[in-house]
Amino acid sequence: MTRWWSGEELAAEAERLVPGSVSKISATACIFKAENLVQVLSALRDNPATNFAHLSNLCGVDQWDRFEVVYHLQSLEMNQIACAKVEVQDREEPSVPSVVSIWQGAWIQESETYDLFGIRFEGHPNLQRILLWDGYPGYPLRKDFLSMPGGLQPGLNEFAGTSAKPEPPVRPVE
Amino acid sequence: MSEIVQSEPFVMNIGPQHPSTHGVFRVKATVDGEQVVDAEMVIGYLHRSMEKLAEERTYTQNIPFTDRTDYLSSMSNNLGYCLAVEKLAGIDVPPRGQAIRVIMAELQRLASHCMGAGAFANDTGAWQTPIMWFMREREKILDIFELTSGARLTCNYMRIGGVAFEIPEDFEEQVRALIGPMRETIADGEGLLSGNEIFLVRARNVAVIPPELAINASLSGPMLRGSGIAWDIRKADPYCGYEQYDFEIPIGYQGDAYDRFIVRLEEMRQSLRIIEQALDGLPGGPHSTEVPLSLRPPAGEAYARIESPRGELGYYLVSDEGPSPYRFHIRPPSLINLSVLKEMTVGGSIADAIVALGSIDIVVGEIDR
Amino acid sequence: MSLATDHWYDFRDLSNLSRVILEGIDKVAPYELAYIVAPIIGFVAAFVIFVLPSQLYVGVYGERRIIGRIQARRGPNRVGPFGLLQPVADAIKLLQKEALTPKVADKALMWAAPVFFVAPCVLLFAVIPFGPRMVFADVPAGLIFFIGVSGLPVLAAFIAGWSSNNKYSLFGAMRIVAMSVSYEVPLVLMLLCVVVFTNSMSLPAIVEFQRETDLWLIFMQPLAFVVYFIAVSAELNRTPTDIAEAESEIVAGYLTEYSGMRWGLFYGMDIGYALAAAAFASTIFLGGWSMWGLEQWVPPWLIFIAKTHLFYLVFIWTRGTLPRLRVDQLMGFAWKFLLPLAVVNLFLVSLERLWWLEAGLGDGMVFAFAGINIVFSAVAIFLWARFLGYRPESIPTRPRLVQKAGGYVPVEDPPGGGK
Repeated sequence: MTRWWSGEELAAEAERLVPGSVSKISATACIFKAENLVQVLSALRDNPATNFAHLSNLCGVDQWDRFEVVYHLQSLEMNQIACAKVEVQDREEPSVPSVVSIWQGAWIQESETYDLFGIRFEGHPNLQRILLWDGYPGYPLRKDFLSMPGGLQPGLNEFAGTSAKPEPPVRPVE
Repeated sequence: MSEIVQSEPFVMNIGPQHPSTHGVFRVKATVDGEQVVDAEMVIGYLHRSMEKLAEERTYTQNIPFTDRTDYLSSMSNNLGYCLAVEKLAGIDVPPRGQAIRVIMAELQRLASHCMGAGAFANDTGAWQTPIMWFMREREKILDIFELTSGARLTCNYMRIGGVAFEIPEDFEEQVRALIGPMRETIADGEGLLSGNEIFLVRARNVAVIPPELAINASLSGPMLRGSGIAWDIRKADPYCGYEQYDFEIPIGYQGDAYDRFIVRLEEMRQSLRIIEQALDGLPGGPHSTEVPLSLRPPAGEAYARIESPRGELGYYLVSDEGPSPYRFHIRPPSLINLSVLKEMTVGGSIADAIVALGSIDIVVGEIDR
Repeated sequence: MSLATDHWYDFRDLSNLSRVILEGIDKVAPYELAYIVAPIIGFVAAFVIFVLPSQLYVGVYGERRIIGRIQARRGPNRVGPFGLLQPVADAIKLLQKEALTPKVADKALMWAAPVFFVAPCVLLFAVIPFGPRMVFADVPAGLIFFIGVSGLPVLAAFIAGWSSNNKYSLFGAMRIVAMSVSYEVPLVLMLLCVVVFTNSMSLPAIVEFQRETDLWLIFMQPLAFVVYFIAVSAELNRTPTDIAEAESEIVAGYLTEYSGMRWGLFYGMDIGYALAAAAFASTIFLGGWSMWGLEQWVPPWLIFIAKTHLFYLVFIWTRGTLPRLRVDQLMGFAWKFLLPLAVVNLFLVSLERLWWLEAGLGDGMVFAFAGINIVFSAVAIFLWARFLGYRPESIPTRPRLVQKAGGYVPVEDPPGGGK
């Protein structure tokens, strides 16, 4: 069975490798600081106890006040998986260091995250929109992206308001 | 040769309309004569923004979306999503439901590999014959799906907490009737292609992915196993009771297109073994647990992955206690396996590029989502 | 020759008809007129009794039915009884379709290419002996004529590919020219072996040689037959070597921009060339219209057509089963494998022929030569393949199986070391 690392375990290991790299700890994930993200992730990859050589998943999450980029790190030899995150507060020009230098295959997932969230990955060799066309207005997976013109909300209106998060502000599509 | 004869490279579009791109997928290949000097992929023709749409629908309503990502293996996609929701909400599936899920997932793997292996043979130029043989068997599997769920491609059969309906009475008989001919067809396909010299020179040492690159580029599924890495989530992180079944992981030798092809064929044999065992030990009891229609899982996040026919299919869900997922992310194995397209194609000829693309076994619905 | 068709009214053998007509003309008209009438009769007879039905029913219908059988499906079975009218329906559909010309194409050349492609195909049948005295142009160097004319469609295909102004078409055109240049060499060398052995370039004389010695050249020259089959299937773009129209790579090669009846002409004449090659092969290697005395009882042209279609069946069979080679592998195969074998075979055949003539041996010697050549061919192919590094047994065709998931499993016995 795969060992799923908890946030505390990953944070302890990361603090041991790169002191001062952890920003927050949640039950399932460890949130790193953006400035030494590349350093800590490459240390986690090369450290024999963690050996996270396989980047299973990379995606973004819009949490209204911040963006999260979620990394699921996996070790094939040790059969373990851990979840690392990095947060970015800036909504206008969100930017996160790219991990392409650590995992080559991350470029395609980072491009997709850039395409749909608008999070820039600094150091990405060829960051451009891959699913949508150049010049597409806005970034669709952001929570404040309106998919229909005129401020109409799609989907199940009867369930709206059940969310603890504030309602999305009406902003016209550029 | 290239030092003596100077020629001007030009861009050749392979796709979006091309017999070998397996959908609306385009490779902008810069070619110098027959040699590919640069390859850039252009995707997004089939982008439907499922991840955004899913944020507006309830957890159960999202299951049909997962059918339509990888339309050649809808059962596996259903399963991956349901596992993620069950993990998020802490729902247990009864043993019968798990066994039915395993049978369906393995039948789907057979159907998908029939298509994958046949289309790969088509790409190497074995003009339609292997694919027609494999399609004949695939039709029988689709008939079983139709018998069970009412649909052939987009089955929409798995539910959160189990499966949608009880299997029909003659299900077991039909599945058992399929196993023998399927074994024969696999052996036929192997006999036609595996030892064929033309097939060997076309697929051996073509599009080689060394194991270090395979891991570093996050590849999964037959792409990873073809490079000689023993990694199968059914073994590594068993779900749906895969630990009860006796099967083996086929791995390749050097990570070329031929290795990926033989790994797929062997996986089909292993799937048949799993189906036989699951049918033999099919437990009684309910096929599903009762799950409220508007499920509101506790706030949190869950990442569940399964071994889909194309590789590691992951679903990352974030819940805010609402009736619909706050964030719905699919980890598409086809897309991530494509990230090494450049490494596989550059330096080879156009014919090799087609073989390399065929050996990835992409489904464009899953790439673009 | 004591065939049954010595009376003018005996038309069991169609060659008698043309002979009677020609001799009749000879009596009443100037001798030169026979030269005009003979080709017309030849053309009509060849086209009506052979090319048209063969093309429609063996090439289109039969091929699709047989390939369907190979591929576990039915093939055409809707139009007419057993789908027999399918070729006609296809032709009508193609005639109705618009023949599109791209804006940027070279319109004149694109229009002309199908014409250039069709014309040589009809010429090819002129030198083929369908039966005794049933050759429409008994050219003394018929073999050279056939090789020369069968090289012409390559030019037409190149024109088609170039004038389409499409990159796929250009690739197809370049590939077909490169392949033709490569494969003409072993092909001609192997036919030279036949010429040396039979001491003639006339196709009727080669058939006569096989009839008199009671042994077909396929047994006397097995290597030549194998090389001819490979080379001709390469030149005809049949599947193991159809790189010029490789569907999965370059869409349809030089035919990408063709549609309607223009495409239909290419398609139909592809079958025509394949049938011509099959007819040529059955003339040269399979004894033509002779069949160890059976030609006394069955019209020889029927024997000939049966042999031709049998040969064509092998084309269909390979098309239904084999994958396609890459272009450089195909060229390498011609130059590295076939050419040395052809040269060695030519040397051996010349020695045999010289010995045969010098020692003044009888016709029975051909059986000894056949034995020598069959053994030589098998040994030469095997040894030359081993020399070039062909080791089929060393390549594992089944993957390794492991029980436990983990990281990379090193290969203890790498491919090449056997499994």
